[in-house]
Amino acid sequence: SSISTAAEPWPENAALYQQLKEEQILLSDNASSLAVQAFLQMCNLPIRVICRANAEYMSPSGKLPFIHVGNQVVSELGPIVQFVKAKGHSLSDGLDEVQKAEMKAYMELVNNMLLTAELYLQWCDDVTVEEITHPRYGSPYPWPLNRILSYQKQWEVRRKMKAIGWAGKTLEQVLEDVDQCCHALSQRLGTQPYFFNKQPTELDALVFGHLFTILTTQLITDELSEKVKNYSNLTAFCRRIEQQYFEGHEKDSSAIAARSSKRSLLR
Amino acid sequence: MAAPMELRCWGGDWGLPSLHPESLIVMAYAKFSGAPLIVNTINNSWRAPKGDLPVLVSGDIVISQPAKILNFLRKQKYNADYDLSAKQGADTLAYIALLEEKLLPALLHTFWIEAENYCSVTKPWFASKIVFPLSLYLPGKMSRGALNRILLTKGGPPLYSLTEVEAQIYRDAKECLNLLSKRLGTSQFYFGDTPTTLDAFVFGFLAPIYKVCFPRVQLQEHLKQLPNLCRFCDDILTCYFRLTVSSHSPAGQDTADANLQKLTQLVNKESNLIEKMDDNLRKSPQHPPRKLTTLKLAAGGEESSPMSRLSP
Repeated sequence: SSISTAAEPWPENAALYQQLKEEQILLSDNASSLAVQAFLQMCNLPIRVICRANAEYMSPSGKLPFIHVGNQVVSELGPIVQFVKAKGHSLSDGLDEVQKAEMKAYMELVNNMLLTAELYLQWCDDVTVEEITHPRYGSPYPWPLNRILSYQKQWEVRRKMKAIGWAGKTLEQVLEDVDQCCHALSQRLGTQPYFFNKQPTELDALVFGHLFTILTTQLITDELSEKVKNYSNLTAFCRRIEQQYFEGHEKDSSAIAARSSKRSLLR
Repeated sequence: MAAPMELRCWGGDWGLPSLHPESLIVMAYAKFSGAPLIVNTINNSWRAPKGDLPVLVSGDIVISQPAKILNFLRKQKYNADYDLSAKQGADTLAYIALLEEKLLPALLHTFWIEAENYCSVTKPWFASKIVFPLSLYLPGKMSRGALNRILLTKGGPPLYSLTEVEAQIYRDAKECLNLLSKRLGTSQFYFGDTPTTLDAFVFGFLAPIYKVCFPRVQLQEHLKQLPNLCRFCDDILTCYFRLTVSSHSPAGQDTADANLQKLTQLVNKESNLIEKMDDNLRKSPQHPPRKLTTLKLAAGGEESSPMSRLSP
């Protein structure tokens, strides 16, 4: 079946599914979705963004975003990169073996620290949970389903945090970790336009997705976005990718939508 | 000088100073940075291990995770990363994340979840180090914790059964080992010729896979096909831990003899390799003289200088 997927060219009606932009989507899912969108833009593969309240349940792995291409459904950035590669498009072919190892390591760093910190902030920080996460996560559903679903999700995420040793961390420690991660990314990027100099790779897409979302999402406090703003080359990197890959796509531009969601994010 | 630093951790066997990856990471880092740690391994006569090991105790301060312990040591001026550039420091963080995400699940599985391994090796070994009646309870708890961690982080759909999760985590681990091997290449350590935090982490994760004799060894077999990683572990063991090869294994006399034979062969191979590396280094003009002494096979236990590398 992988032979048949490779044979089909990228269709015009490829779609990316995520939760509702204005009312429902959370920081971490928005970041993941933006990362996939950026990756596909960098590969020059057209994709429509479709927002559905039940996107999480439609996804084959329960995680978002997922793409629907031809008759295949693939979720999460890692598998999507593989899938796109099978169709003959790749951003990292020009890297040598050591660079590929480095790229994979940095992607794990982003997942390990940034994504986990976003999940922590959303689901383990009581103030954020009460004021932002619960109202948003359950917003498409009537009471009491909205409460039940968000408590269920919160329990799931907290179990996972406990298993990996993050449950005992304080918010300050989590923000420290975010700072450490941004410091490492900033050092690695240096003065280059992209992480592997001239051409963007999936790592650039992933970093852009997370950093841009953190910078443009309004939370209870600005502590998280301040951590990123401390590193000017990272903010310049985000602006550069936004300008190059998202401006000029007015209708579906998630970048512009993210900015508007900043104004109307709370409640 | 600050109060003496004591490290409480799990002990070792099969030629390793510790079987426990996190304990091994801290021990290796202490050797690399010259930190004078008093290492107390858990054995029957010690207090029951509370919470997570390894634990560093210095006066009133108690610190419990490898990353935090290493931070503490660095603040005490025992810094193995002194010569690293900022980018290399960033690479360190990234590779550690890779190890934790891709290699650790399979490592945990090999030790704590694979039934044959757990029942015939891991559980008896750990139980023998813990005081009764805790020995009846603690290994089981560690095993359940490991399973929980793997299922929660790796076990979502579309992987529905434990066997599918297992297949995925071993695939990831083998790929991770390949990546580590490629990144190491022919260098002695990951950032040149002095070992750093990253070397401590890689060693801590690889050495148990490499040395412990399990019945089910798919990860070990894969690792043995990557000779530069094996050489990396052996170098650190001989140079920084100065362990002789005749440490016994509790698995019985027959296997001990077989192990001894295997180890003797390995040592002979290693001493040839080390002599070769020694020659290469002698020809290269840039290495400071003290590096040469650490490469001699330290059978006679001569003092080597890594202990004196305290940063000012």
